[in-house]
Amino acid sequence: MSEGGAMRDQWYPVGMTKQLTAQGRDTMLMGEPIRVALAGGAPSVTDGTGRALPVIDRFGHVWTSLGQPEKDLFTIPEVDQPGRRLVDVGVCRVRCSPLRAVENFLDIAHFPFVHTDILGSEPHTEVARYEVEIRDDVDEVWATKVKFFQPQAAKSAEGGITTDYMYRVCAPTCSVLYKTCPPKPGEWDVIALFVQPLTETLCDVWPYMALYDDDAEMTDLIHFQQMIFVQDRSVLENQLPALLPLDPGREIPTRADMTSIAYRRWLKRHGFTYGAQLVAA
Amino acid sequence: MGMMGAACSDPCASAPTPDTGDTVPTDWTPAALSDDIPVASAAPGQLGPHDLAIWRSASGRIAAWADRCPHRGMRLSHGFVRGERLSCIYHGWGYGEGGQCVRIPAHPELTPPEAIRVPVFSVAEASGVIWVAEEAPDGPPPEFPGVVAFRSLQVSAAPEALAAALGGTGTVIETVLGGAQVVALIQPLRGGAAGLHLLAPEGSDPAALDALSAEVEALRRRVEAAEEMTA
Amino acid sequence: MILYDYILSPSCYRVRLLAALIGRRLDLWAVDVHPGQEHLSEPMLALNPAGTIPVLTDDGLVLTESTAILTYLAAHDAPAWLGEDTAAMRARVAQWLAFAQRLTDSAGAARAHDMLLAPGDIDALRGQATQALRELEAALSAGRRRGESFLAGNRPTIADIACFPHVALAPDGGLPLDPYPSIRLWMRAIRALDGFIEMPGIHRLHELKPEPGPMPEVIRKEQA
Ligand SMILES: N[C@H](CCC(=O)N[C@@H](CS)C(=O)NCC(=O)O)C(=O)O
Ligand code: FES
Ligand SMILES: [Fe+2]
Repeated sequence: MSEGGAMRDQWYPVGMTKQLTAQGRDTMLMGEPIRVALAGGAPSVTDGTGRALPVIDRFGHVWTSLGQPEKDLFTIPEVDQPGRRLVDVGVCRVRCSPLRAVENFLDIAHFPFVHTDILGSEPHTEVARYEVEIRDDVDEVWATKVKFFQPQAAKSAEGGITTDYMYRVCAPTCSVLYKTCPPKPGEWDVIALFVQPLTETLCDVWPYMALYDDDAEMTDLIHFQQMIFVQDRSVLENQLPALLPLDPGREIPTRADMTSIAYRRWLKRHGFTYGAQLVAA
Repeated sequence: MGMMGAACSDPCASAPTPDTGDTVPTDWTPAALSDDIPVASAAPGQLGPHDLAIWRSASGRIAAWADRCPHRGMRLSHGFVRGERLSCIYHGWGYGEGGQCVRIPAHPELTPPEAIRVPVFSVAEASGVIWVAEEAPDGPPPEFPGVVAFRSLQVSAAPEALAAALGGTGTVIETVLGGAQVVALIQPLRGGAAGLHLLAPEGSDPAALDALSAEVEALRRRVEAAEEMTA
Repeated sequence: MILYDYILSPSCYRVRLLAALIGRRLDLWAVDVHPGQEHLSEPMLALNPAGTIPVLTDDGLVLTESTAILTYLAAHDAPAWLGEDTAAMRARVAQWLAFAQRLTDSAGAARAHDMLLAPGDIDALRGQATQALRELEAALSAGRRRGESFLAGNRPTIADIACFPHVALAPDGGLPLDPYPSIRLWMRAIRALDGFIEMPGIHRLHELKPEPGPMPEVIRKEQA
């Protein structure tokens, strides 16, 4: 398979800043061993030969790249708004393509079946038409005006509500979603999925949140998100083929999958194919 | 990705996908025991290189389909059976007779296009065994008078090694095990493993069957230990 | 009763599941095990020096083994879940409660390794878990031959509840359940129990709910 191609020059999360130690932690990025450590009080990442890799410390996580990133890591401006609680959810390893992990995050149609009675429930399964675009100025995929009926949209939600969503793909293995925030009408809660590609079929997923919720315990916020993500894990580990098919024909999308269709198209356009399958096997 | 109305499809998507060089059996292959897949349930199975979802409808109809949802590739054997349909656990797409998609919950009003169809395999039941095949074989699967389905086990050893340990060759072996006259059906599995579907004398009492069960577990230990030695 | 709990812990789920099945209300105290390592904090170690969860406290009683907690809840509220009151049946239940610890130490450790990056010799753990799963499969198939669908006879007991979580979640640790038909049927029987609750990684039986209409067949007829 590919050596990473255009994806080598992108930024990836490789650990939580809070958990760094001087001794360091051995992990992997796109098939290559790396070590993430604290050196003189700052995060450092080295590859298998001891070469220092570029580092960014942002959103509570350490980011690095095996290649030469042309752009700075994306930003999430909402994270800096006062009053938000920033939540490091912790790592979860999944035997799946990093791209499949992101695609699942962009999907709402599975809520009634995989997150039953929390993010969705039968018979409220219909996905209404929404808008999707690839924004050329920022080179991101955006889905807006997404709506879905949810029995318990968030830790802070009481009873069923129709939740509004926006989705944003800001890097090949990173996505941010914005959803209605029950305690603060007019604002959006921010939930991000940062995916570290270990190999093409194995990834470490680092969910991250910036929420308006003054009441819930931090532990409850963490556990709500861990619950949701681990419900997805058994699906992600059982999709065939493991690699995300980028060519039409191998899988059959519907109108509800417009975000996924745009994501696949955007990946293909950029040659972001680490974890993808290009020609139907 | 092109879209056809609300749902889009490509007939190529529904062709079974041979992805290894393994030889595909041409005749019936035993895949499970009938009692192990009761009404309104689904289970995973294998046929050569193919993963199968074997399921039984509420009315008792057995089916063997490709274990891959045409939508986003989720294994259908993880799905759920309501009435005469198998639904995928991921987005709930429902499939009926012949593998035809009949319901897409995200678009409840939509009649799914004919082209959304799960590849279907031939399946038949005989002597309490579920047999599968890629193309419909000429005749029905074999019947074994005097014995009934007993247990299915997986053995981490080559089918040939398992057959030899049972004192035979091939995939259908009639032999004596733990003092009982049994029929052993051997199913080649991927990764150099074998499925063993065992039929025991009709009317055996539970204690005799416990002894047979212990005997076959012991046989599995011996075969696997020998396999490990040669590995 | 306070349960010191973690949503992703199969051992905590044993307790939550039994409580749900017998209608016992618990006050849940969420412990930030991952990533916070709160179970190893001073207050938690003061409660349970072993540094594990679940912990159940009730009126000065502190229980730190999930199987002991199951025994307590059943004896307290629903003694039928202890199994039939005969010497053989009580021993059978006790045997499975001990077996459940083998599942925690093998399948549970394999899952923690594969999912939460816990240390461990994964091949050895999977080997031990496979051995345990094979024993369980053999026992359940013997039960089926006698018309019994649960581990200690024809009704569910704390033996089933102790073993169910780590078995159902074995695939999380790279242990497919495909080879075990009797385990599959037993898990189905447990998931079909009145009051059953799920945990992340264990899906409910959607088949227990009717298909919501309108049915496509009806639409087809209307269109024809
Ligand atoms: N004492 C056992 C312990 C169960 C167990 O191993 N719990 C895990 C969570 S599933 C735990 O506390 N792990 C903490 C650790 O491994 O550090 C029980 O109650 O069954
Ligand atoms: S993958 Fe099966 S319904 Fe979507
Ligand atoms: Fe999900």
